[in-house]
Amino acid sequence: MMLWWVVDLTLCALMIALAAGSLFAATLRRRVIFFIAFGLLTAIVWARLQAPDLALAEAAIGAGLTGALLLAALPTAQPTEHKRDADRLIEWVSLLLAALLAVVLIAVLTTLLPVVDGDPSLAVTARLSDAGVSHPVTAVLLNFRAWDTLLELAVLLCATIGVLNLAPARKAPRHAGALADTLIRILLPLLILTAGYLLWNGAFAPGGAFQAGAVLAAATVVLHLGGGVRLPPFSLAQLRGLLALGLLLFLSVGLVQLAFGQALLQYPLAWAGSLILLIETGATLSIATMLSLVYLGGHPLRDWPVAGDSRDREI
Amino acid sequence: MSSLLVLIATLPLMTALACLLHPRGGDQLSLVASMIQLVASVLLVTELPSRSSLSHALGGWAPGLGIALGADPLAGWLVLLCALVQFATTLYARFYFCDSQARYRLWPLWWLLASALYALLLSGDLFNLYVTLELLGLSAAALCTVGAAKAEALEAALRYLLLGLIGSLLYLAGVALVYAEYGTLDVSALRTLISSSPASLASLVLLSSGLMIKCALVPLHFWLPAAHSSAPAPVSAVLSALVVKVAFYLLLRLWFELFTPVVTSAFATLIGLLGAIAVIWGSWQAFRATRLKLLAAYSTLSQMGYLFMFVPIVMALPEGDTRQFAYGALLLLAVSHGIAKAALFMGIGSLQQHLGHDEIDRLGGSARKLPVTLFAISLAGVALVGLPPSGAFLAKWALISSSLVSGQWWWMLVTLVGTLLAAAYLVRVLGAAFAPTAAAEPALPTCRLALQQPALLLAVLATFGLGFAASPVWDTLSLSPPEVQR
Repeated sequence: MMLWWVVDLTLCALMIALAAGSLFAATLRRRVIFFIAFGLLTAIVWARLQAPDLALAEAAIGAGLTGALLLAALPTAQPTEHKRDADRLIEWVSLLLAALLAVVLIAVLTTLLPVVDGDPSLAVTARLSDAGVSHPVTAVLLNFRAWDTLLELAVLLCATIGVLNLAPARKAPRHAGALADTLIRILLPLLILTAGYLLWNGAFAPGGAFQAGAVLAAATVVLHLGGGVRLPPFSLAQLRGLLALGLLLFLSVGLVQLAFGQALLQYPLAWAGSLILLIETGATLSIATMLSLVYLGGHPLRDWPVAGDSRDREI
Repeated sequence: MSSLLVLIATLPLMTALACLLHPRGGDQLSLVASMIQLVASVLLVTELPSRSSLSHALGGWAPGLGIALGADPLAGWLVLLCALVQFATTLYARFYFCDSQARYRLWPLWWLLASALYALLLSGDLFNLYVTLELLGLSAAALCTVGAAKAEALEAALRYLLLGLIGSLLYLAGVALVYAEYGTLDVSALRTLISSSPASLASLVLLSSGLMIKCALVPLHFWLPAAHSSAPAPVSAVLSALVVKVAFYLLLRLWFELFTPVVTSAFATLIGLLGAIAVIWGSWQAFRATRLKLLAAYSTLSQMGYLFMFVPIVMALPEGDTRQFAYGALLLLAVSHGIAKAALFMGIGSLQQHLGHDEIDRLGGSARKLPVTLFAISLAGVALVGLPPSGAFLAKWALISSSLVSGQWWWMLVTLVGTLLAAAYLVRVLGAAFAPTAAAEPALPTCRLALQQPALLLAVLATFGLGFAASPVWDTLSLSPPEVQR
């Protein structure tokens, strides 16, 4: 008992220290590295709070991919920061406001104690047998509140299209060498296997499309960093198809139920498990594509969204 | 007829995917989809008799465990507003972007924005609303960069995105507090549950401030002028007419239906005060603006200010018919501004395309070249200022008399000053446009002129349509709030 107190207090202190580091470290690069460490620690905190699903997602997306994204976005030449007095003032005022907000929120939260894990989770447990999957988090995400998840996929799609519209992809940085290539050849199959495992596991244990998609995207990040090993060539139409696949499957499965007189997204009980797996598989592929493209920072092929031809500039 | 709800919620998503998968068909698909959506919305409004609501339990799960789509007359009319503006702007955007590559990039985002609007209006779940707000903010920021985006447009879009994210995060924190205290996210269940407590007050402040960033209420307004004025005209029209409006719709739901035991008159007065500052400051900045689009963006700021300023007036009225009447007027004002502002932005877009710039001082002679557009801009101006016979005139009149009834005469002074300033900045534009050509400027027809009719259609609707047909809109709207569904 005592031991857990020590662990928890250390976690809390570390979190605050890392948060301060990611805000105030001397250079931008150091701040990013502090931020990645902060993400990893957050994953541990979620695990400690018995939320393994969140821990997985945080480790894969929060620390892993966001970290890679931030590192890639760092300017190559360190910009010299000229802080004007006005900037410093704004910094201090916003810090003060944030601190005030934090104190008020903590005070308010204490009025809510003790938080009882009552009716909502009971309701989920009571209907879990009708959900088609035995893991409550997956049941909520893909069945009870599937509309949320469907719209979240639309959010991701929107972010990706926004990035693709802006610019072509960045040039790959070359850290390549014989060692890196060997490492990639070992790492790649393992990452793909892990993604498949997480996807399959989602039905009865922590895992699911978002985590699996993030791991799969990590595989393309690794590929991109190497340079010796390449993705097979793909066309624009295939790329657009991969982007749309997850949302399209989700929506189609949901709409088909209407034809049988059911509600939107109401899966028949016998089919629920398989339909959820189908949706999650499509979502995994789409999520992996989207996250990879966001990491690449633009469209990987020469044109987007349609192969350019000059005839096209009509009206 | 709950399948109407499903159609309205899913059709934009399907269209977005279709436009992504088949870019070359995007023009036709968008036009057809926006027509279907318009018809469906008209049907929805006619299906909704007063004091009733439709709902569709998604996945067949009861709300609380699952999520329900739902619509009452208030949501129904706003859906119709969205469908109407969307139809006109879709038609307009088809010809505004003459580069087909720009349109290929536009349509999927355009329809994702529409999905967010309709999903938000039909949602009855606090967390689901957060997801729709995320989609709304992201797609709106991404749309600002479509077309020939300049560096300043990119910067404005980035700031818009970041502030939208901060707003969403504040909203999310508020939702978490509500869930921790009451154990449900279902709006209709929360109506009876929420009582006055520290956590409720904190969540009200968090939810409100998050949404007020999205509504651009002074002092959280600084992102709006740059974002709305640097986006392409059809996008500006949707941003100014709809995106800020649905955030205001959510605030109305929160203040008048969910958090009624928590909202005090001091809170309402503070909101009204901020609104009053927005009215004066926004109108003054619009009056001083040198570019048309900036003028329109500042005008949005001041028009949103009116909506907030009238909140304490409505709240001070005793529950009952007088309050319902004023509430209806408030919503009529919101709808009227939505339609008129979309018309104004589309008209400005046509002018800008024809002249190659949108500087007010160099508008001379444009009335002769683009009479239809100038007519549309004038009519939209009538509705924005609130001259008879527009719906805005009736609404403002009703609200001013309500302010006298509730003994808050000072709001009337702000309304008068704001209205005079609005008249001044619009007359300034018209004066410049109707002046003879200063110098022979070469017209720059970069491509075929964008359609002028959509702007005219909306302007006529705002001025005459909402003016003469105000009573059915007003009646159903004013009947909808708090009593229903208790």
